[in-house]
Amino acid sequence: MDGGLPPINHERTETEETLSQRMWLAGQAGDAPARFARDRLISKCTEREWPSAIQFQLRRLMMRRLLVGALAFALGAIPVTAQSLEDLNIQIHGYATQGFVYSTHNNWDTLNSSDGSPSWTEAVVNVTAQPQPKLRVGVQARYFLLGGFGNTVSLDWANADYKFNEKFGVRFGKVKTPEGMFNMTQDIDPAMIWSILPQSIYPVATRTSILSHLGGVVYGTLRLPAKAGTLGYQGWAGERIVAANDPLLEAFAEGGILFPSGVTGHTDGATLQWHTPLQGLMLGASESSNSNNGPSTLAGMFSGQETSGSFQIPFYFGQYEHGRLTLNSEYMRLPFYWNFNYTNGPVLKVALDFRNWYGMASYRVTNKFAVGSFFDSSINQQAPLGPARFQKNWDISARYDLSSFLYLKAEENLLNGTGGIGVSYYPVNNTGTLNPKSQLTILKVGVSF
Amino acid sequence: MLVATASIFIVQAKAQVIVIANPGVKASDVSKSDLKDVFTGAATSLKDGSGVVPILLKAGTVHEEFLQAYIGKNDTAYRAGWRSLVFSGQGSMPKSLDGDTDVVEFVAHHSGAIGYIGKATPHDGVKVLTVK
Repeated sequence: MDGGLPPINHERTETEETLSQRMWLAGQAGDAPARFARDRLISKCTEREWPSAIQFQLRRLMMRRLLVGALAFALGAIPVTAQSLEDLNIQIHGYATQGFVYSTHNNWDTLNSSDGSPSWTEAVVNVTAQPQPKLRVGVQARYFLLGGFGNTVSLDWANADYKFNEKFGVRFGKVKTPEGMFNMTQDIDPAMIWSILPQSIYPVATRTSILSHLGGVVYGTLRLPAKAGTLGYQGWAGERIVAANDPLLEAFAEGGILFPSGVTGHTDGATLQWHTPLQGLMLGASESSNSNNGPSTLAGMFSGQETSGSFQIPFYFGQYEHGRLTLNSEYMRLPFYWNFNYTNGPVLKVALDFRNWYGMASYRVTNKFAVGSFFDSSINQQAPLGPARFQKNWDISARYDLSSFLYLKAEENLLNGTGGIGVSYYPVNNTGTLNPKSQLTILKVGVSF
Repeated sequence: MLVATASIFIVQAKAQVIVIANPGVKASDVSKSDLKDVFTGAATSLKDGSGVVPILLKAGTVHEEFLQAYIGKNDTAYRAGWRSLVFSGQGSMPKSLDGDTDVVEFVAHHSGAIGYIGKATPHDGVKVLTVK
């Protein structure tokens, strides 16, 4: 495999570059042996692991209680204001998509895509109630299957939203994280022309873990003086939980690093969107502070703790809409520092520094037919020169709406490079050398109501 | 010549649609940007502070003309925007009614309701908002 795994040397501290290659450049793991190893390690959890593991579970339990409490509070307010079921304004919505993926080289995201694979299914259903104009409560469940990932139903979001006025509102519970231009909406297939957004910033595989957090969001819109447009703001704080079997952590499993309980960490930040006086032009920026911590084991021999410290993720983005044309561009830097301290074992450090950007354009040809294209680039500044340092992608997409509820999508991606944050060439089904260049064809059918 | 023809068409399209609101809504006029914000879910009140709830038509010429004239999107793009809000937990889908008379009936009896109908539709019991 391109950028194959170097052997683990337990006697020394891993260099950043070495482990970087192991985790990301060589590919990401989702294979059954790694899962079996993880399960075995959980069962062999030593006494020294328990304190951190118990603390971890307690924090998770507290956050869940906070979520339940928030929803109970919101639901408890409903009878006070609503007089009938109609007053509750209950709505049920959902969508389902089925994808077919074919790649000329390499297998994409644990699908056997070089043979053509239909193993990409997503389905969502939500229930919301709005007992009074300022209060809305809701819950959304999501089924996700992508090759060897997912095949589970998860709680997408469950929150209460109270909007005091245009300038200030608050949403709390499990909420979508309003980071960057599309983080809150990146998985909403019926709303997009694309089958995949630029993977450098919005990778498909990690949707379940990085789209939401337990905590809250405050939001509002301010009218600027002198006809300078409006300024939308969203600030958030809370805890993000990444499950043990999340694709984000499967990358570490390839290097023998397992997280029996997953990882948690804080996330807080703010996003500003300036809707400028030039009609259709929006400029925005995000900045977030994040961390990831959790009990970890190494190669089935050592146990310890992973701590990332706090790392910042900035986004800068813009959108211009004019008639049927929409232009978007976004830049994001992802500095990534994870430290592993194993009892009587090595100290490992993972340091990555991705610089990602894209430019995209879409055009609605008719009411039913739309086309689009984007160029996407991701470069890991910590990686050595070569195809494993980057990935670039030219995407061409088309969407046809058969009705208000049913649509078809077709998309071609010209991929170059085997590195980058969005590259999903996993060792489990990429046993040979990766080809730096590959074409990825995606066909999708979706229904929404 | 083509430009002039297109301009006349747009003016005629706007002229065929009127914006109506529940009589309890304080405003007597509304800016085009306010109207767009309300009907795209970006705002829930007008500039004067009047809280409003948008009411849609399910389909038809009046619906298409309203979207083209005041939202700048076709129906597919418009509903895609609402799906983004609904499936990300940021909003509820506006009520969509079958015809103009249904919209008049609903707006007349629901506080804060704001909708649009064809100009020729009888609209007793609601107030007409001037779009500036």
